[in-house]
Amino acid sequence: MDELHGDELNGAELHGVELRNVSFRAGGARILDSVSARFEPGKLNVVLGPNGAGKSTLLRIATGLTRPSSGDVRYDGQSIAALAPEPLARRRAVLSQHVDLAFSLAVADVVMMGRYPHYGRVPTARDVDIVSRALALVGMEDKREQPYPTLSGGEQQKVHLARVLAQIWSDDGDAGAMSGAQRFLFLDEPTSGLDVHYQLHILNVVRALLSPSLTVVAVLHDLNMAFEYGDHFVLLERGTVAVTADDARAIPAEVLERVFRVRARRMHDSTTTSDLWRFEL
Amino acid sequence: MPVDRRSDAAVHIALALALVAALIASACLGAFTFTPARIASYVAQSAGWIPAREADALGRSVFFQLRLPRVLLAALTGAVLGVSGTLMQGLFRNPIVEPGLAGTSAGAALGASLIFVLGGGAGALAFSAPLGAFAVPVLAFTGAFGATILVYRISSSFGKVNVFTLLLAGIAVNAVCGAGTGFLSYVARDPQARNITFWSLGTFTTADWRGVALVGVCFVVCFTIALGYAKPLNALMLGEDEAAYLGTDPRRLIARLLVVNTVMVAATTAMVGVIAFVGLVVPHVLRMMRSSSYSFLLPGSALLGATMMVVVDIVAREVIPPAELPIGIITAVIGAPVFLWILLREQRKGSPAYYG
Repeated sequence: MDELHGDELNGAELHGVELRNVSFRAGGARILDSVSARFEPGKLNVVLGPNGAGKSTLLRIATGLTRPSSGDVRYDGQSIAALAPEPLARRRAVLSQHVDLAFSLAVADVVMMGRYPHYGRVPTARDVDIVSRALALVGMEDKREQPYPTLSGGEQQKVHLARVLAQIWSDDGDAGAMSGAQRFLFLDEPTSGLDVHYQLHILNVVRALLSPSLTVVAVLHDLNMAFEYGDHFVLLERGTVAVTADDARAIPAEVLERVFRVRARRMHDSTTTSDLWRFEL
Repeated sequence: MPVDRRSDAAVHIALALALVAALIASACLGAFTFTPARIASYVAQSAGWIPAREADALGRSVFFQLRLPRVLLAALTGAVLGVSGTLMQGLFRNPIVEPGLAGTSAGAALGASLIFVLGGGAGALAFSAPLGAFAVPVLAFTGAFGATILVYRISSSFGKVNVFTLLLAGIAVNAVCGAGTGFLSYVARDPQARNITFWSLGTFTTADWRGVALVGVCFVVCFTIALGYAKPLNALMLGEDEAAYLGTDPRRLIARLLVVNTVMVAATTAMVGVIAFVGLVVPHVLRMMRSSSYSFLLPGSALLGATMMVVVDIVAREVIPPAELPIGIITAVIGAPVFLWILLREQRKGSPAYYG
């Protein structure tokens, strides 16, 4: 926790997402109580916590959708309260856990929505190209003309992943999807309700994109998957930060047991040499 | 649709040609039948290209003072209702919403009929009320806006619209506004105001150039503004949160488009009464024809709505001559089955649109 408050820098060198003493009250209840956290670029930052701990609220505030009651959210040291919606949308994208489409559209049209903050009335050739690349990246290029409602839940989520990636795609042609200016990708339980293939696929795609100019913040429910894919962990407990860690193994079993109200046992998987958790009531 | 704009344009051109054909047919047919050649001659005489013939005076007067404004008002009304249905379905994110169902038209009718109490009655529809020429449209707008906001607030919570509440709120608001309009029209002395059929089923018999001008100006302004919101309306298909993540301000978008929508529906309703189901059928047909993208739907619904209304008006004049059918009877015969069909289909697939 100390390192979070240690940066009395003026923000110029400070890449990534920073929450400074963020509190949120709703109807008299304290949902978040002075939460400070730092999410660095090039890492898959994971927010963990039981239901009702404030993860979703934290993400809504970190994305700029909801204003905190007090405190500040900074991207690259700049407060996002000062940013207009469109410029913010060109650098920050959010993959939600379940998105309904009110009417039927072709898959490519849904992905093109990610380019809306970038073009005026008519998409440019570059926007069309990015849509194709984003679809190819998630392996859905052969379904681009298909009506979105005919896809399975897992395929629909791939389409939305392509959409949010297209939204923050690099302006610089072939230098890589996420090169250049700093960008911010938030994932709100992106794999819940999906079968294991799609869960792994989506996290693999995101991991492969990590770069020094992309900050990823994900809310994940499955602790084992979070520990396997994450690089930095913030564990929330009733609106406050219980623990911050760069190494999953640094999180003590007692903390997990207390926060999630379970008994936790660490198991060793000899084939992958990684640790797995087993939980019981 | 961004992916393939050329076929969007092809559909729009086809619809525009259909509209032109319907306009010509409607200008020719009726109690007085005019051949296209005769209409061309009238136009040339009025423009002074050829000398005006005394024998044509009556025909010219019927054509320019009765037929032409009627044809144009029908087309404008259809365009307004079609675009309004498209906008409202976009804002409510639901395929069953239209101005007739969500209380917009009924609220406009109630507001407009208030003039008979405030303005004393006689000739209010002809803009001679003490409150001035804009009293009717302003009152209609107030009523329409109040009713729409009420239905929207009741049916939407946490950024989602619940269809059951929407329908029930629509029924209640429509009933209250209908009762109010009915009461006022019975109290009124003006024979035209007493015509409850006008308010509940709509008619073009009272069409004049002032009505054409009012509805025309409102439509052009509102439609132009609405066209600029095609992208955010598409984004809103994903819900308010996702639209916000894509850089739009959903609350501002909804507020602005509700005002735009209400202005044109109120002006139209004050001129022709309540005409239901056009706003429901038009976007639905377009979605089946091609796409749900609003860059396609908005121009398409103006063209298809206008065409449909011009054809309905021809039917209204031709079915039981010399009498006329109220417009709403014909639109209900076409629209109600479509409405039920959409409702059944939505129920069967258990779509998010149905459950909110």
